[in-house]
Amino acid sequence: MTARPSFIGAHTPRVEDDRLLTGGARFGADVSLPGMLEAAFYRSPLPHALIGGVDPSRTAELKGVAGVFTAEDMSDVSPFPDFDEHARPVEIFPLARGRVRYAGAPIAAVVAADRYEAEDAVDLLSVDLDPLPPVVSVEQALAPDAPRLYPDWPDNAVIEWPVSNPDAIAEFDRLEDGAFTVGGRYEIRRHTGAPIETRGVAAEFREGRLTVWTTTQFPHIARTMLSYCLPLDESDIRVVVPDVGGGFGVKAEFYVEEVTIPWLAMKLGRPVRWIEDRREHLIATCHARDLVLDLEAAVGPDGRFRAVRGMAIQDLGAAEMYPYGFSPTFTAVGHITGPYRIPHQSVGVLAAATNKTPNGAYRGFGIPEAAFGIERLMDKAADRLGLDRNEIRRRNLIGQEDIPYTTSAGAVVDSGSHRETFEETVRVAAERREHWRDRLAGDPRIRVGSGVVNYIEGVTPTYFMTTGHWTSFDSCSIRVNPDGTAVVSVGVSTSGQGLESMLTTLTAEALGVRRDQVRIVMGDTDRTPYGLGSWGSRSTNVASGALREAADALLGKAVRIAAHLLEASPEDIEVYDGSFEVRGSPGAAVTWRQVATAANIRTMDLPEGVKPGMEASASYDPPGIEHTPDEYGRVNAAATYTNASHAAVVSVDVGTGQVRVLEYIVAHDCGTVINPQIVRGQVVGGIAQGIGGALLEQLHYDEFGNPLSTSFLDYHLPTAAEIPPMAVLHFESPAPEMPWGAKGAGEAGIIGPAPAIAAGVEDALSEYGIAEITLTPITAPYLLGLLPSG
Amino acid sequence: MTPNMHNRLRPPHEAPTVKPPRFRYARPETLDEALHLLAEHGDEARVLAGGQSLIPLLNFRLARPEVLIDITMVEELRLMAVENGTLRIGAAVTQRTVERSEEAARACPLLTKALPFVGHLQNRTRGTVAGSIAHADPAAELPAVAAALDAVMVVRSSSVERTVPAGEFFFGPFTTALEPDEILVEVRFPSSGGARSSVVEISPRSGDFAIAGAAGLLLASPGGRTAECALALFGVGGAPQRLTEVEDHLKGRRVTSGLLDEAEEMTARTALADSEDIHADAAYRARVAGVLVRRAVEEMAA
Repeated sequence: MTARPSFIGAHTPRVEDDRLLTGGARFGADVSLPGMLEAAFYRSPLPHALIGGVDPSRTAELKGVAGVFTAEDMSDVSPFPDFDEHARPVEIFPLARGRVRYAGAPIAAVVAADRYEAEDAVDLLSVDLDPLPPVVSVEQALAPDAPRLYPDWPDNAVIEWPVSNPDAIAEFDRLEDGAFTVGGRYEIRRHTGAPIETRGVAAEFREGRLTVWTTTQFPHIARTMLSYCLPLDESDIRVVVPDVGGGFGVKAEFYVEEVTIPWLAMKLGRPVRWIEDRREHLIATCHARDLVLDLEAAVGPDGRFRAVRGMAIQDLGAAEMYPYGFSPTFTAVGHITGPYRIPHQSVGVLAAATNKTPNGAYRGFGIPEAAFGIERLMDKAADRLGLDRNEIRRRNLIGQEDIPYTTSAGAVVDSGSHRETFEETVRVAAERREHWRDRLAGDPRIRVGSGVVNYIEGVTPTYFMTTGHWTSFDSCSIRVNPDGTAVVSVGVSTSGQGLESMLTTLTAEALGVRRDQVRIVMGDTDRTPYGLGSWGSRSTNVASGALREAADALLGKAVRIAAHLLEASPEDIEVYDGSFEVRGSPGAAVTWRQVATAANIRTMDLPEGVKPGMEASASYDPPGIEHTPDEYGRVNAAATYTNASHAAVVSVDVGTGQVRVLEYIVAHDCGTVINPQIVRGQVVGGIAQGIGGALLEQLHYDEFGNPLSTSFLDYHLPTAAEIPPMAVLHFESPAPEMPWGAKGAGEAGIIGPAPAIAAGVEDALSEYGIAEITLTPITAPYLLGLLPSG
Repeated sequence: MTPNMHNRLRPPHEAPTVKPPRFRYARPETLDEALHLLAEHGDEARVLAGGQSLIPLLNFRLARPEVLIDITMVEELRLMAVENGTLRIGAAVTQRTVERSEEAARACPLLTKALPFVGHLQNRTRGTVAGSIAHADPAAELPAVAAALDAVMVVRSSSVERTVPAGEFFFGPFTTALEPDEILVEVRFPSSGGARSSVVEISPRSGDFAIAGAAGLLLASPGGRTAECALALFGVGGAPQRLTEVEDHLKGRRVTSGLLDEAEEMTARTALADSEDIHADAAYRARVAGVLVRRAVEEMAA
């Protein structure tokens, strides 16, 4: 076994693209079953109300209606189990029971011959709702006389985790050497992932077995949750994931509709499907962010940060979401120091329930919020000192000599290129800013500026802090068929990000088969080993760990068989491109097909002591992950850490306050790059979403708790016209403990844009001395409000 | 007359993918048929042209007409022509058709300048000029263009035809002088070929409805002074508004930096800015209206 040309890092096209780009995909709405009925939901029009009753009598006039169901009909369904020991208990029922806590909560499900008829029936329901006063902000939620969402609770705080780290506090008590403090409240407003495909669920119950097609990022977790809620053994449930048109974390929640639709199929004995429309998506799929970081830093006279303290305060919405919506706030705290040597921190968490759509996951998962807070503070401290904003970062960044570096949040940074990406980004950004200043110099209305920021991202995290239940492992099973094709089945699950390509490349690399001999199986609990799915930039790390172990076992066996067939010593066998050769003897070769035929069919050709068959399974739990924080919130919650530096070159129209991102520069390090095109796609797509969050996106509510952003007319995703040219520079610092040295790259791009753009805008407007930008989205009205009039 | 009535709009071969409330659908081929249907159903009917506003409202079930009268196959409404110094655009003429018409560009450059701001190319390919004006979204460009150009709306019911000048057509958000039994059959834009024109707006994203915008027309005298001038705002108030005070102030003067300052200040002060939504408050709209008018005038005087 010796070195051979590697597939790792090669520019190979994505294997899934032919199918996806030529209409071969089968998405949630393409699932169509014989005799299928369709469901629609009556969703609460009120943000907070007691449910009196549902009168379906007027639906009798519609011939196609198969039934109208409410929580009372679902007595054989258990609420979602609640595993968290720290947060106040929340019982989640598939249909709202007794009370609704957000506009959009499902109260009744109507099943009919088609969606038209189901919607018609929804229109005809008489639902008796007794309005309760709504709570629409954290301040309101925590006021002493606030209406309570959960009457059993003493207040509306879902989780309170105050942290008081004496080492951090001491730094604020001794500022005599010229040290000083800076602080601010940094706010990222309410977002959602908004994949182009909304959610969808279809279910069929036949001969005691339930099959559920659902647009989820975690099929096995969905199956386990179904077994907790429905009166079925887990073996009698199969979860199948169709092609998924984007997840971004919002499909890494287990939703009430994923129980209701299967239950309806069981109840009615007919397949039932529900496809979420966009309005439902914006009020019933989880929201995210809506976090205020109230931070203060103690900074030395040299600009070195000594400690950070404060609170992460989250508007959690109605809290009826699992996995828990407050988890990103803990992740924010875990990333609050960024890639900086800040020796102490003391940042607590407070999440309050309000009458809004419940929060959950969205790409970045708290880290964009953390980066916005700490990077804004860096800029503020630099300005206070009269120090260059890049220089203050230079003085605080982790260097190679510090690695492995344990941050004061407990993250063990095992590798990285923190200073290298930064210096390169600073250099390119300066050049590009000058280019744009020259180019736009003739326009008196326009100012140009740039901002450079840094971050680390813990990838492949524990799920225990998010679910209170699952931890971090995943699985892989490989079967080589007699014709030499390899079927690789994994517990991770794709939503379009290129996992087939990644796994195909690694299988070819590990087994020596050709890429076209590899088939990947994902997203079917009957055909894949147990795993936790795809979220947290984890798939590459966990799937590759399991894949490598399974492949190594198979390859060892295959080499023994090949050596036997070639009458050579196993040590002399090389495998590449689907065949086994004897080193130094060109022409002496057997193919993977011959080896697999021997293993599976012509077993008389096997060497002594080698058992028939060519299958292996393995599971992999990344080393070093901790599952619970200590009393100061410190935890190494991730398997490894990526790093990056981002720069935005922006223009500001000083007459209108409108910001445009002219150009974006990113120097990104996710360890070994397996497929450069996919990594670039992930980074660029993440930046595009980050630009949306920085400048455009916000889910608005009025003072009565009515959602106002219920279509794409009002929830402004960036279009291609708002996305600038990007320079993507790859750095590679392999993760020492990870297979192939790779680190997940799914979320990174979204972390940098908000602080980079905010800094760029301040730089552009430096002549005006505007007040600090403390929130996103940086809309034109917000920014013009900071500029002097006239 | 046998209008083509369907129970539902749905593809024959598969389950429906959109889900408006029940309605009946008629696609008359003459204007008389259309007007008779409208007379019969009154405010239970809605006229459908490009559908760029109505169809989303239907699919959200925010509009619930009993009958949709699709006028896109009415031949006589597909007319576009310049006659006697007037650009006539029939109710079924798409925005894209006008945008691409050299004749329209020569007659009314302001109109063709404004069209690229209307939604996206796909919207304009189906959306009609008259439909946008009849819909009267306060943030839409075309009503303001009609106001700036003193366009005339030709309105018909089954019994009578009347004309309404733009200045008397727009009442407020989504509200016009159209009666329930009337169709806006044609919009007449007086030719303004000799004047300079400008459209400036601010919108969150390319293709969005404007937060605020200004459409203008300016004719300079041989001596460089402003002879004629028309300015209309959109997005700022509930209906397009002409800035007559600013227009009068500009007339007879040379456009100087000082005059631009005055125009900006006067606009911000006199504009009726009562549009407030999640994207901007009224104060922002008033302030930016001044900036946009300044830019429009500056561009036209350059």
